[in-house]
Amino acid sequence: MRRHPAIAPGIWGVVAAIRRWPLAMPYLLGSLLLVLAPLALAAALAFTDYFGFRAPEFTGVANLARLAGDRTFWDAVGVSALVAVVVVPLRLLLAVGAALLLARRPGFDGRGATTAVGRTSAYLPSVIPDAAWALLWLWILNPLYGPLPALLGVLGVPDPGFLTTPWGARLGLVLVMAFQVGEAFIVALAARTAIPARLHEAIEVEGGSAWFAMTRVTLPLMAPIVLVLAVRDVVVVVQNAFVPALLVTGGGPANATLTAPLLIYRRAFEYGELGYASTLSVTLLVLTGIAAAFPLWLAARLAARQRTRA
Amino acid sequence: MSLRIEAAHKDFRARRGAHVVALDGVDLEARDGELLVVVGPSASGKSTLLRAVAGLESLDAGRVVIDDRDVTDVPAGRRDVALVFQEAALYPHQGVAANIGIGERARGSRRRAVETRVREVARTLDIEHLLERMPAELSGGERQRVALARVMIRSPKVCLLDEPLASVDAELRLRMRGEIRAVQRSLGVPMVHVTHDQVEAMAMGDRVAVMDAGRVLQCDTPAELYARPATTAVARIFGPLPMNLLPAAGGVVVGVRPERVRVCRAEDGAGGDAGDGGRAGSVVAVEPAGEECLARMLPDGTDADLLVRLAWADAPRVGDRVAVAWRPEDEHRFDAATGERR
Repeated sequence: MRRHPAIAPGIWGVVAAIRRWPLAMPYLLGSLLLVLAPLALAAALAFTDYFGFRAPEFTGVANLARLAGDRTFWDAVGVSALVAVVVVPLRLLLAVGAALLLARRPGFDGRGATTAVGRTSAYLPSVIPDAAWALLWLWILNPLYGPLPALLGVLGVPDPGFLTTPWGARLGLVLVMAFQVGEAFIVALAARTAIPARLHEAIEVEGGSAWFAMTRVTLPLMAPIVLVLAVRDVVVVVQNAFVPALLVTGGGPANATLTAPLLIYRRAFEYGELGYASTLSVTLLVLTGIAAAFPLWLAARLAARQRTRA
Repeated sequence: MSLRIEAAHKDFRARRGAHVVALDGVDLEARDGELLVVVGPSASGKSTLLRAVAGLESLDAGRVVIDDRDVTDVPAGRRDVALVFQEAALYPHQGVAANIGIGERARGSRRRAVETRVREVARTLDIEHLLERMPAELSGGERQRVALARVMIRSPKVCLLDEPLASVDAELRLRMRGEIRAVQRSLGVPMVHVTHDQVEAMAMGDRVAVMDAGRVLQCDTPAELYARPATTAVARIFGPLPMNLLPAAGGVVVGVRPERVRVCRAEDGAGGDAGDGGRAGSVVAVEPAGEECLARMLPDGTDADLLVRLAWADAPRVGDRVAVAWRPEDEHRFDAATGERR
């Protein structure tokens, strides 16, 4: 069979890739069936009315027109964005900070029991199932018997009303999502450990302070990976803020913590508007993509700049 | 200015298994304006010694004295010591100019002042054209020049080099040796250069310290080390080729350098018997080395082979019967039991 690279180079590239790497097939099939196909389906449903009982009915851009005037959705996007703006830097600070503290010079004092306990503790919150984690926080934040409001009371700090006032509930949501940083911690730890010891020793011999070494050497060298973690965290926080919002705050009070995924869930499964919910989903995906694009671009640029010979 | 290391001792505790003694009572001195080369096989403790002087490694016992000041417990940054690493330790996210100036910046100099100094030093070392590049765009030799510039820009009390030419190709290594000497002369401070390369040690050192298993075996001028090695270990470690060591009568080991062995072919009439001090045997291997060649022969009745360096024109063939001999004054005599020179 003759090839027509000018007509369909992409297709022939994929065919060649599949031929060369049969081991990639399970993964390719998996992403096709579990990610790409549902995504395509959602994108198609976004232009229909669909309630799950009858076949979807094509309605053109009607859903988009409704979306443009949907205050509730844009408010929910605002809540998601607000939470992301606070939670993502907080999560990165915790993950990178823990990685810097728990990655000492190898063979020196980086293998002791203290380090092992510290590393395990940093990872542990990510092992707890999301629902259990959410219920745990529901107890911690509870205004009647929760330990955190009680502690604040003892310290004389006014209780922000974690589950009862709009800003208190948003703060509660931030707290719930801030500590599950195990994966990011491990990636940051690997990035920190990959920096050759001599780069820090050279600064030490030159008389540079620990602060100088961290700000001029450690963090700049970790920057590309931290940016990738930021992208991942934006996705995690925006798309996965669903469980804590559903179980801890229930979107309330007064829609103060009604995040975009929770709204979409309600549209789809409480109101049964599967078509319109698809429109919202795809819109949220596009918005997240836009938010993630800049840090990804910056990460690629920085990585290319500091690429060293092997 | 001077550097003294007194009775330095350092153990590394392996997690499993025995201790590793990296430094076992090392005494060493580098005088003002002197280039002291520390040479030894890998894991002989030479890098640990250098790191202990820099302050990157603590000593279990002993002292490091710089300029008559005991700095054993002084942190690395306040010892006023410059160190060039084997891999140059350049920062991949910064340009060459920033890399040269990073030490000055670390010590709190202003950006403008540092930029001016960087240009001056780059001019001296003839690397001005590299200033705008990134480290990833440099060759091995260029990287080490940048590392040298980082030393030049400050005026340290002691300058330490940890195998700086190990990752530089052979031709450039020859030139870089001269450049390092020039830097050392212009700084006028004691310089300690660690290497495993004999040729480099011989060519560069004012004095050479031969290390093995955490001890300094001998420290002297290259000529003296070559002419009168103190022990059999020095005789094998130091020199362009390891010395031949042949067991002889009376608890003595006879040493003779491969380049001082003369060959007479057995058929030439010199006979299978080479007479006093000589050996007869057959050639088991011949390695060409340009104008010269290296022959390995097995003297009759022994299993310790003998290296001979001779002109390529006189190269024997494998299997040839040869007789070798040497002048009495080229013969070194060591105690068979202690390995010390007699």
